[in-house]
Amino acid sequence: MPYVAKLEKAGIPTVVVDYEDQLELGKETALIHGVPNIRFIHSSRLVPGPEAVDEFIEPMMEALTKPLTKKEKERGRWAPSQERVLFEGTLDEADTFYQQTRHIPPPLDAPIAIYTDGFPIRIPTEERVKEMLTGTSHKPDELIPYPFDIEGRRGESRKKGDPVLFQPMGRTATVEKVAINAVMAGCKPEHLPVVLAIAQSECAIGTAGGSNGQWCCVSGPIVKEIKMNSGIGMMDPGNPANTTIGRSYQLMAINLSGAVSGINRLSNFGNPFNTGGTCFAENVDALPPGWKGLNEEFGYDKNESAVMVVNGPGMLGAGGWPPGGYRALQKSGHGGIARRLDVKGTPGPHNFLEYMVPELWASREGVRTLVLMPQMAKHLYELGFKSKEDVYEWLWKKSFEPLGKFRLRAGPDLSTNGWMGIESTSGKHWKELSDDYMVPAGGNDPLGNCIIVGGGEDETLVVLNGRGTAYSIDAWR
Amino acid sequence: MATKDREYKCLNPVGIQNPVETFPLAPRLDSVDGKNICFSICGEPDITIALEKRLKTDYPDVNWTIKKTYMTNAVQLSAEEMKTTDALIQGVAW
Repeated sequence: MPYVAKLEKAGIPTVVVDYEDQLELGKETALIHGVPNIRFIHSSRLVPGPEAVDEFIEPMMEALTKPLTKKEKERGRWAPSQERVLFEGTLDEADTFYQQTRHIPPPLDAPIAIYTDGFPIRIPTEERVKEMLTGTSHKPDELIPYPFDIEGRRGESRKKGDPVLFQPMGRTATVEKVAINAVMAGCKPEHLPVVLAIAQSECAIGTAGGSNGQWCCVSGPIVKEIKMNSGIGMMDPGNPANTTIGRSYQLMAINLSGAVSGINRLSNFGNPFNTGGTCFAENVDALPPGWKGLNEEFGYDKNESAVMVVNGPGMLGAGGWPPGGYRALQKSGHGGIARRLDVKGTPGPHNFLEYMVPELWASREGVRTLVLMPQMAKHLYELGFKSKEDVYEWLWKKSFEPLGKFRLRAGPDLSTNGWMGIESTSGKHWKELSDDYMVPAGGNDPLGNCIIVGGGEDETLVVLNGRGTAYSIDAWR
Repeated sequence: MATKDREYKCLNPVGIQNPVETFPLAPRLDSVDGKNICFSICGEPDITIALEKRLKTDYPDVNWTIKKTYMTNAVQLSAEEMKTTDALIQGVAW
């Protein structure tokens, strides 16, 4: 849309072909980029292409020639009101005000909360926000900055120190704005540095497509300082720090980034990670010797606190075995996992990842984050994986498959841009490679995977799609 | 005043939306015939392959140029190309 807006401003008439359910997203994006009346024509998600084209080709061409309406000729300024004080009244009246909803048209066709995630919130009175701000040394009117240079999704670059543009609405936010959302989430002042660090991620959402989930993992001394749960049930509700920090991520996505389900948050089913928010913590004490914490993996010192923030595709997966199945494997080499690994009757440790590997990339290529309970990390260490990187490289090598098989995936049609360009391991054009050439289904980076150690003693693990970026929490103390 | 009747100033959690200057659409073409029109393809080959064929057969007097990607970021017209392009169709944008 920024490109189409640029063309219109340059005097080149355009028309955009899109799906009808994305019309509101298109209009919103067109407005943000200064050309609110861009002409859209709708195609069909259901009807085969040639038939769909039959329907829309004439109106599409007419959109290039039909004279502009009075509205389309308008020039103006869009400046939404920005009062610092949103509401004045009693707490009961504020409850009603902040819980307002608006009707979102089809395909959602239901009410969606304007300022909240649909749950009741803690009203952000001036007094409460002032108290929350005691959790940071930063001034309330300081704009949240990018902590390093980044490349945006559409190729735009952002420099360290520039104000963060929360996506998709491109808004900025002050430390106070973040504190307001933290109050609403139920955070305490001691949680605020984590929330401020999360804010530096842009709190971006998935605008369309699969089930995008936002989650984060805290690493470093602050985990114990603020009494986070890095043990059993760390992804469940109950722990105030985990739960409220996770929730603040969602409230920031809604209020700072402007996420509205059915308008610009079009992930088909949504994602349970986003309901109430998801934040958990790494159990650094459970790391085997030589295994780095997440903080160290991202270049922070062992004694620095950081939060890895993820906005990724796909749903939660699990290890694929009952806890007893894992125990049987490792204690005495029995059970189905042992049979598959051909170690029947031989006590462990055995590499349980071998059991998972054939299916780990079955339906989706790309990197994985494995959340391992402590004993599993210990078993891998005992098997000779003296670092997380050893595991990442092992996994990556195991992900290789023949190009003929890789071509039967849907994702690479996009990620290779239609098989144009160079395949990274060979340095050759995709179309020069034979079907039996081996390519990595696990992404192009041998160290792209991620391991988080935490959880309780039941022998299961969690598989998540993707890996995030880590932001310094200490910078916000 | 009873506690429940006390009034509070409650703050705005919404991010700061910088004002945006809004522009009119570019004037439309009087006709497509004889014009240089770019079809900018972003994915959805089921639709765009069919559309490209139809554009060339149904509108043979248009000077068609094609820019194509499977991704969501369109292959953009260069500054030079913008000088000679009369209109652009983008699809299927996401």
